[in-house]
Amino acid sequence: MGLATLWSRARTLLAKPAAARAKPTQAAAPVGLQHLLDTHLELDHAIDQKLVEVVDDTEHSALSIIKEVRGLYDSADLLVQYLENSSPQANSLGSDIVNSVSYLVEISAFIQELPAKMTRDLHSVQSVVKEITDLSALVGSVHAISMQSHLLAINAAIEGSRAGPGGAAFRVVADEMRLLASNSSAVASQISEGLRRARSVVEGGMSTRIDESTRALNDVSHAVISIQKLQENFEDMSQYFKTRFAVITQHNQNLSRDIAEVLGHIQYQDVVRQCIERLRAAIVQRNAALQTAADPMQPLDAAQLQEALQHILNDFVAQEEMHKHSARHDEQGSSELKFELF
Amino acid sequence: MAKTIMIVDDSSTMLMSLRNSLEIAGFKVLSANDGQPALEQLKAGAKPDLIITDINMPNMGGIEFIAKARAVSGFRFTPILVLTTESQQAKRDDAKKLGATGWLVKPVSGADLTRIIKQVLPGA
Repeated sequence: MGLATLWSRARTLLAKPAAARAKPTQAAAPVGLQHLLDTHLELDHAIDQKLVEVVDDTEHSALSIIKEVRGLYDSADLLVQYLENSSPQANSLGSDIVNSVSYLVEISAFIQELPAKMTRDLHSVQSVVKEITDLSALVGSVHAISMQSHLLAINAAIEGSRAGPGGAAFRVVADEMRLLASNSSAVASQISEGLRRARSVVEGGMSTRIDESTRALNDVSHAVISIQKLQENFEDMSQYFKTRFAVITQHNQNLSRDIAEVLGHIQYQDVVRQCIERLRAAIVQRNAALQTAADPMQPLDAAQLQEALQHILNDFVAQEEMHKHSARHDEQGSSELKFELF
Repeated sequence: MAKTIMIVDDSSTMLMSLRNSLEIAGFKVLSANDGQPALEQLKAGAKPDLIITDINMPNMGGIEFIAKARAVSGFRFTPILVLTTESQQAKRDDAKKLGATGWLVKPVSGADLTRIIKQVLPGA
């Protein structure tokens, strides 16, 4: 029901006592009317108390809503701050990953070059092995010389025996030659064994190094592939993070805008509070007029009472007119009346 | 650097609503629940870049506050916006004569408030 309708009805009701002016009552208000007035004032007092409670309750609720809404905003803001702080850390991590991949690629290139280097080294070592093999052939010659020396010593010993006492010195030489041949053979065997072990060690070592470098190459290749995948995953994750961050930031901006609107709407509590206070003031004025009219010492007649009530009504209507642009139903009203910069 | 705004209103709801709207918009906020304590804050050295005041307050109303605030050293040109439920032209004229910068009728949305503040506070 609109305010104009309410006032129309009020005027109709107020018009009734005016009609009753045809039979004015000059005497003090009858006892029954006083009781009626007392009950009316009591009712208004009860209504007034309830209105005060309602204003307090709505204010309390409005403050709670503001607090809760602010809490929502702070939570959303905290999330954005967290994301903003995380962003440089994620970028730093990405940079570390890129650097690590770069180092591994360098190591990989070095390892990939290793087989060629090892092959070159192998050729060098194979030359050494060939030299060793050649030396082994020489050892065979030493063995042969030793054998021939031994046979020669035996023949010399036989010939020395045939020569009798004159061949004694010859037999001594033959014995020495045989001993020399025997020692030469033993030394040649030791040299041969030493060369065999040397060749075995060189060839085994080369084989082991080639196997190890091949395994290392495989390991590093796997590591490089893994880290390159990690880098790609990180770039995907980084892009996803940026998208999420943009979405959350936009969401937060929308939330901020909506919260500001909610806070604007909550101001209606103050608009309503002031409206109720004006209503209460009008009721107090009306009841004062009624009490004056019923005063047995200085009673007002119906015409005076009607005039007093009309005055209160006019004031009330004027007051409401002054505040009409703050009413919700005037939201579509002229904006220049609501906002004016001087 | 964030601008500072002083809000003067006897309604707790208005103070809280405006404080949060303005803080979320990035402003620092000072507040007073009547013209008298607001005036005392100004005299004590508070330096708001903008003042938003109600008109009807119990001890010192907005019109009187504007007149007295203009007399405080350093506040002759500080923008002062009136935010009230009233829209009476006579009161607007009074406020304008005493140095108010603008008149807003309650309630005012956060977006409108921010837009108007940016108009009267360049760089805000």
